[in-house]
Amino acid sequence: MKLRLSGPSAWWAQRLSAVLMLLFATFVATSLVAHPVAGYGQWRDWVAAPGVSLAFVVFFGALLVHMWVGLRDVVLDYAKPSLRLALLGVVALGLLGLGAWLLVILLRLRA
Amino acid sequence: MKLSISRYDPERDAQPFLQDYEIEPAPSDHMLLDLLLRLKAQDDSLSFRRSCREGVCGSDAMNINGRNGLACITPVRGLREPVVIRPLPGFPIVRDLFVDMTLFFRQYHSVKPWLVDREPAPDKERLQTPAERDRLDGAYECILCACCSSQCPSYWWNPDRFVGPAGLIQAYRFIFDSRDGATRQRLDDLGNDPYRLFRCRTIMNCAEVCPKGLEPVRAIERIRLKIAGIQDPAGGLDTHRPIAPS
Repeated sequence: MKLRLSGPSAWWAQRLSAVLMLLFATFVATSLVAHPVAGYGQWRDWVAAPGVSLAFVVFFGALLVHMWVGLRDVVLDYAKPSLRLALLGVVALGLLGLGAWLLVILLRLRA
Repeated sequence: MKLSISRYDPERDAQPFLQDYEIEPAPSDHMLLDLLLRLKAQDDSLSFRRSCREGVCGSDAMNINGRNGLACITPVRGLREPVVIRPLPGFPIVRDLFVDMTLFFRQYHSVKPWLVDREPAPDKERLQTPAERDRLDGAYECILCACCSSQCPSYWWNPDRFVGPAGLIQAYRFIFDSRDGATRQRLDDLGNDPYRLFRCRTIMNCAEVCPKGLEPVRAIERIRLKIAGIQDPAGGLDTHRPIAPS
């Protein structure tokens, strides 16, 4: 699925993911200013709350998509043609790994 | 006046080298091409393309003090000395300042730079309003000199797959021509491939060096908007006063 993100869909994905990340960053900043968190316990409870968890998942999803489009552009521009597919595979695996790790962290928090 | 000109004879030299020349410009030598022709009278082996000597044919495009331009409209006075003249960067060198333009023209032809008829073909003229004709301003003036594509880093890295600013400004010229019947196919051809158009990173070297003051980067931006289905601005492309090498 990720490898098919190409052409105009990549262009849209990069912009939409940037907007999502901006919205999330604003949301987190205003939340923490309005209700400052004192200590790990409060932070953990806040992140584990269903709405906030979902916001985190959406943010990191957007971040991974954004990273994919950006790194793919770098590989397509600069890497030797014979190495491109391999490099794209490595990047894709790395990003999928990061995504899996994120899910594990969030699930552990809720447990 | 001191010049350093790139020389390369494939039969004699392993690789190009810079050869120094010293020449006194005559009062009638206004442009760099005048100087080069005077040099050729001294050293007959110096080879370069030239034709119209007035900046409309694009033959004498070369890299002058690091910046692409047409020798025939580059003023001699004000050139930093020694004037370093190299062939267009990134293109295979045939000899001295001659470069191989085959791949450049192949990219140009690949965007189908001709009107594709609507079915059925009209009985009379293909009419066009002045507003529709205005959309072609800033694109049809391209002389295919290759100054833009040979100064584009994205074109250097992928000359066989990225169409390049020159090809893309011509693609714009036909995509936005109201008389053309193949707009959808043109957009699909450029939009569905990650390389043909999307390697453009808006570096803007193309607009910087165009000797006719055109802005291929803006044309590419408009094609992107059209591919994305976003309304693009009316009117033609902006042009600017060309900046000659110095």
